[in-house]
Amino acid sequence: MELRSAFRNFSFRAIRFYLDATMIVQILFPTLMFLLFLILPLASVLYIATQYSPLEVISDPMYVSFIPHGELVEIRSNLIFRGKEITLIKLRGVSFGAILNSLICASIVTICASTIGVLIAFIMARYDFPGKTFFRVLATVPLLMTPFINAFVIKKLFDWRDGLISWFICDVLGIPLRIGVSEIAGVVVAQTMTFFPIVYLNVFSSMVNIDPSLEEQAENLGAKGFHLFRTITLPLSLPGLAAGAAIVFIFSLEDVAAPIVFNEKRFMSYQILSKFIEATTGRLSPVAATLAVILLALALTAFAGIKRYVTLRQYAMLSRGGRWSIRVRRPGIKGLIAIYISLLPLFLLAFPQFGVFIYAFCEKWTGPLPEGFTIDHVAKIVIDPLVSRAIVNSLTYSLSALILIVLMGISASYVIARAKLAGVELLDLLVTSPIALPGLVIAVGYFYFFTTMFKGTLLDPIASGPSFLLILAYSVRRLPFTARAVFAGLQQIHIALEEASLNLGASRLRTIRSIVIPLIGINIVSGALISFVYCMSEVSTSITLGGLGGLGELHQAPITLIMMDYLSRVEGPYVVASLGVLLMSIQLAVITLTNVILKQRYAYIGV
Amino acid sequence: MLLVTRVILKDVTKRFGKVIAVDRVSLQVNHSELFTLLGPSGCGKTTTLRVIAGFELPDEGKVFFDDEDVTFKKPYERGCAMVFQNYALWPHMSVFDNVAYGLKLRGLPSNEVKRRVMEVLRLVGLEGLENRYPLQLSGGQQQRVALARALVVEPKVLLLDEPLSNLDAKLRLRMREEVKKLQKDLKITTIYVTHDQEEAMSLSDRIAVMNGGKVLQIGPPMEVYMHPKNLFVATFIGRSTLLRGIIKKVEGDKAVVSVSRDLELVGRFSQDIKLKEGEEAVAIMRPEDFFLDGTNSSNVIEGFVELTMFLGPFTQLRVKVGSQTIKAYVDPDVGVKSGTKIRLYIRPENVIIFPLTGWEEVEFEAIA
Repeated sequence: MELRSAFRNFSFRAIRFYLDATMIVQILFPTLMFLLFLILPLASVLYIATQYSPLEVISDPMYVSFIPHGELVEIRSNLIFRGKEITLIKLRGVSFGAILNSLICASIVTICASTIGVLIAFIMARYDFPGKTFFRVLATVPLLMTPFINAFVIKKLFDWRDGLISWFICDVLGIPLRIGVSEIAGVVVAQTMTFFPIVYLNVFSSMVNIDPSLEEQAENLGAKGFHLFRTITLPLSLPGLAAGAAIVFIFSLEDVAAPIVFNEKRFMSYQILSKFIEATTGRLSPVAATLAVILLALALTAFAGIKRYVTLRQYAMLSRGGRWSIRVRRPGIKGLIAIYISLLPLFLLAFPQFGVFIYAFCEKWTGPLPEGFTIDHVAKIVIDPLVSRAIVNSLTYSLSALILIVLMGISASYVIARAKLAGVELLDLLVTSPIALPGLVIAVGYFYFFTTMFKGTLLDPIASGPSFLLILAYSVRRLPFTARAVFAGLQQIHIALEEASLNLGASRLRTIRSIVIPLIGINIVSGALISFVYCMSEVSTSITLGGLGGLGELHQAPITLIMMDYLSRVEGPYVVASLGVLLMSIQLAVITLTNVILKQRYAYIGV
Repeated sequence: MLLVTRVILKDVTKRFGKVIAVDRVSLQVNHSELFTLLGPSGCGKTTTLRVIAGFELPDEGKVFFDDEDVTFKKPYERGCAMVFQNYALWPHMSVFDNVAYGLKLRGLPSNEVKRRVMEVLRLVGLEGLENRYPLQLSGGQQQRVALARALVVEPKVLLLDEPLSNLDAKLRLRMREEVKKLQKDLKITTIYVTHDQEEAMSLSDRIAVMNGGKVLQIGPPMEVYMHPKNLFVATFIGRSTLLRGIIKKVEGDKAVVSVSRDLELVGRFSQDIKLKEGEEAVAIMRPEDFFLDGTNSSNVIEGFVELTMFLGPFTQLRVKVGSQTIKAYVDPDVGVKSGTKIRLYIRPENVIIFPLTGWEEVEFEAIA
């Protein structure tokens, strides 16, 4: 009892001394924002989910089925196609119901993406060879985010009738064989191709940060080749691999683009989305809540599983560039051949982004090869009022969110970095948690919470449209990028610089304004730019909440919703590709700005 | 005219987790005094200074400026100015803006700000450099800017946290003199933190020697040097060498220590320390207090010279005395060679006797 009261007294003394009005606001502002726009919505998902028995969902063979449906590989020989006798190999995939499908596919995608990512990262981090710069650029191309349309290009690539691959094998090489990938297998291939760079970048940054002497010591003791890689290099890059793999797993679980493009409804994400399409009436099926809770549980399990390797803050941003010169070797002829063969798939992996460009600028691309050149499609994103309005919407939402992000990011990171109080770690956990939270779960939570608790207000997406909710969803989901950048900046400036100011009589606010912000300005700007990019290309809440206002003349939908909608329209994919080009241009501009002008290097983690 | 203030610490304790950084420290710094907190790294001196500046809240105890309890005052409400160990100059501001910062906060008109900034820059010898940026200055110049920035606001108390430790040896000696002169001219209450005992002795009106979070002794440099209260202070202040033995005879505050069968040393107890016959003791001597040979028959230490090192003004000898070794400084002109036998005399008043307890703690520093 006595100990307890002594502790409380201590806490009260400490709070009274270490906190001032500015810091109290800095704690309360992000905390209340996250309470209202993250915790309570998530709590309402849990609440709704508990109102219905999850068994109803789990026992439905549509969601969980232990009897496999469909065949993994379909082989048909002696098939007559366009007057030629061919053999057709079609990868299709087996279904175990939406929940198990999501889980199985996410696991396969994670393993495939990790294997490719580690291989490329290892070659790039440890070898020097002619054409390396070219391959490095090629390996970063898949990082450019083009929601929906890159999956669309991948589908086209693997189409057995008019796909480039089958065309090349059958029509160019003359082998009577056509290969197709579709349905669940298509989703796996598309997600692997989209998400592998996340592993690549995280592992690469881990590898270049390994102290070279650790490997040299092992070599000195006789380790070499694969043994050295297996016993030293790979274990030391585990934090990067663990972080990358966990993010790929979660992104795969909540990815809607690939299932939509491959018209594959047997995924949890697609099911949640389809419930939203019915929700314009104001009611969201409780199945969405059950699925969201399962999705959330799987995502959190993934993060809990790798907790021993990395702390949450490392997911948001791994700063790159070692303090030492990186160990690179020049391989011999045999090694060179092995390297080039290993890197050859990069042409395929980077193809979707080039494909999006081609798609946007060709007259038509219905057969295996694109035809003609035109800027009509690109012009449409300005001329078509629905599309141009969506661009304006996205810009408005993203820039508004950015104001909140910068304010919250500076506030929260400052407190986390500087307050000498127990419990600031909780604030840290709170503001970085959105990295691990699937956007679809947040969307479901927003729907339940704001259509009931804020019925009829500006925050009610049914009554007022989704504008305000999207701004808030963006600012919560994309805060970690800015928060981590600001935190990294604060760690670089010596605390004595602030103490000197306080000591001379400047208040906390004045110190932050005239000392802290000028010194970490670059970090704030580059963090905000990254947040901006991710706001503009945000998918999960945009295509769910974003559709609640309809697609009328004065619609409130963002770019990504239009991209999803136009995908199924006549001539629509060309417009989607043009929007993809627009998003890629913004990303290239931001990457150039942060890396070249601001000299900040952050690993991008993906969508 | 500067306001001068007394600083009083009453039973200040500060813990970091389980570590007690400052342990019931009580002290009083008088008007316009230069008071030094001296001790090895980790002794709690910087934490004590940060408690005074208001960057740390003591877990127990109070801090007063004159009669005002400032324990809970924020740093910006205290009116003391600090010079940081790394200077903490704002890299995005010019020298002028760095120095003017505190004045602008006080809402002074701009011509007054300019006048006072120029005045203080002249005082620290930096006129003409006001438009430079901190990174364009040398270490010594940066140090002066930090000092000017603290002085210009006419603080009630000036706090200096190892301000000279980042300077090279020559510059450090020059800046030491300048700091002392400035402090005397401005008559500003100053608390100075250092681990360098020579710096502390040359600068201070009074010194508080700290170790393990505790204040071991407070006094003027001479007193701390001549009359150390305990073994730690005796070995930390100045250079010292020591011999272990057993008390053979006690006469008032004098005693005879038997070091070995054929060596007895007459010395004095430090302050209120008293030992009884037969108790184990340590005799502390300053290497500079030894004389070669001498005509005296008592207090002569015989030994073998193991090593000689020429240090300029004197030659340092390492002398093997039985199973123990001592350090002595002798006139280099005498030309003592290693391997030879030597006789060293030391006056009884220069041999200070302490109990053996606490010997392990200081052994390393004493021999080093």
